[in-house]
Amino acid sequence: MSVTNLSRLERIIGYVLRVGVATSTISLALGLLLSLTGAAASTLFLHIGIIALLVTPVARVCVSIAEYVTDRDWTFALLTLIVLAELAGGLIAALYGRKA
Amino acid sequence: MPVVTPLLTLIIFTAGAIAGSLGALLGIGGGIFLVPFLNLGLNFPLQAAAAISLATVIATSSSVSAGRTGKQLINMRLGMVLEVATAAGSLLGGVTAQVLPQTTLQLMFGVMAAVVAVIMLSRLGRRNVLLDPSIDPGMLGGRFHDAESGCMVTYRVKRMPVALFASFIAGNVSSLLGVGGGVIKVPILNSWCGIPMRAAAATSAFMIGVTATTGAIIYYGHGQLIPVLAAAAVLGVQLGSSAGMHFGARASTKWLKMMMAGVLIVVSVLMFARALR
Repeated sequence: MSVTNLSRLERIIGYVLRVGVATSTISLALGLLLSLTGAAASTLFLHIGIIALLVTPVARVCVSIAEYVTDRDWTFALLTLIVLAELAGGLIAALYGRKA
Repeated sequence: MPVVTPLLTLIIFTAGAIAGSLGALLGIGGGIFLVPFLNLGLNFPLQAAAAISLATVIATSSSVSAGRTGKQLINMRLGMVLEVATAAGSLLGGVTAQVLPQTTLQLMFGVMAAVVAVIMLSRLGRRNVLLDPSIDPGMLGGRFHDAESGCMVTYRVKRMPVALFASFIAGNVSSLLGVGGGVIKVPILNSWCGIPMRAAAATSAFMIGVTATTGAIIYYGHGQLIPVLAAAAVLGVQLGSSAGMHFGARASTKWLKMMMAGVLIVVSVLMFARALR
C-alpha cells in the first residue's frame, strides 16, 4: 500500500470515528437529560446513543475492508473481513442467548 | 440489577469523570478503575459493571483514536492484524462471562491486575527504541516523531506470535472483566515485541474499540447494559479523559508505569479480599 493510500485510510477512519463519537455523545446526553425530566422519549435516545457507540468501530472496520479491496491488498482485506465476522459472531451470541 | 435513581446516575457520572481522567493520565482506559468501583463500591454484579465499563472503553477508543489519526502514532496495519486475535478472545470472553460465577470473575480480575503490575515494575527502564531512522521498519513496524525525545523513532515488530497471543488474552480479559485490555497488551507489546510505549499505547487504544464492541454487544443483547447508567458513565469518562489528556502528554513514561503499577496492586488486593470473603 502506498503512503498516499495509507494516509487516505487514516483520514477516512478519523472521519468515521468523529461522526460516530458525535452522534453517540449527543444522543446519550439528550437521553440522559430527558431521563432526569422523566420524559418517555429518553429510552429511545439512550438506545440510539448506545447503538451509535457500538456501530462506530464496526463502521471503521467496514471502511477499512473497502479501502483494502480498492487497493487490492488482499491480505489485509481478508484480515479485516475476519474481524468483521468476529463482530458478527458477537451479535449472534447477543441475540442467541437473549432472554425474551 | 441496581435500581436507577438520579443520585446513582450522578454518582456514576462523577465516577466516570474521575476514572476517565486517571485513565488518560496513566495512558490506560478508565475501565480498570470503573469496574472495581461499580462492583466493590456499589455492589453491581460484575457483568453489569463490565457492560457499563465496556461502553466507556468504546467511547474512549473512538474519540482518542479520532484525534490521533494522521500522526503515525497508531500502527494501523499492526492493529488490524492483532484485532483478529483480540476480537476472537473477546467473543470467547463475552460468551463465558454469561456462565461464570461472580467470585471467579473477581479472582480473575485480581490476578489480572497483579500480573500486569509485576510486568510493569519489572520492565521500568526498557525503551526498545531504535534511534537510527535508516533502519527498515519491515512490513508491520513503523516510525513516528516522539515528542518526548524530539527524535524520529523507528521500530520493528519482534515476536509476532507473542503479540498475537497477548492480544487474544487481552481480548478475552476485556470482555470477561470489562477493561479495555490495554493493561495486558501494552506492556507485552512494549517489553517483548519491540514496540515503543507510545506507539504500543496508541495502537492498543485504536484496537480496543473493536475488542470492547464484540463483548459489549453480547452484554447489551442480554440486557446487562443499563442504558441510562451507561450514558452517565460514557459522558463522565469523555469529560474526564479530555481533562486528563493535557497532563498525560507531559508526564514521563517511567512515572506513568510506576503509577499504573501502584494502582493495579491496590485493585488486585481489593478484588481478592472481596472474592475470598
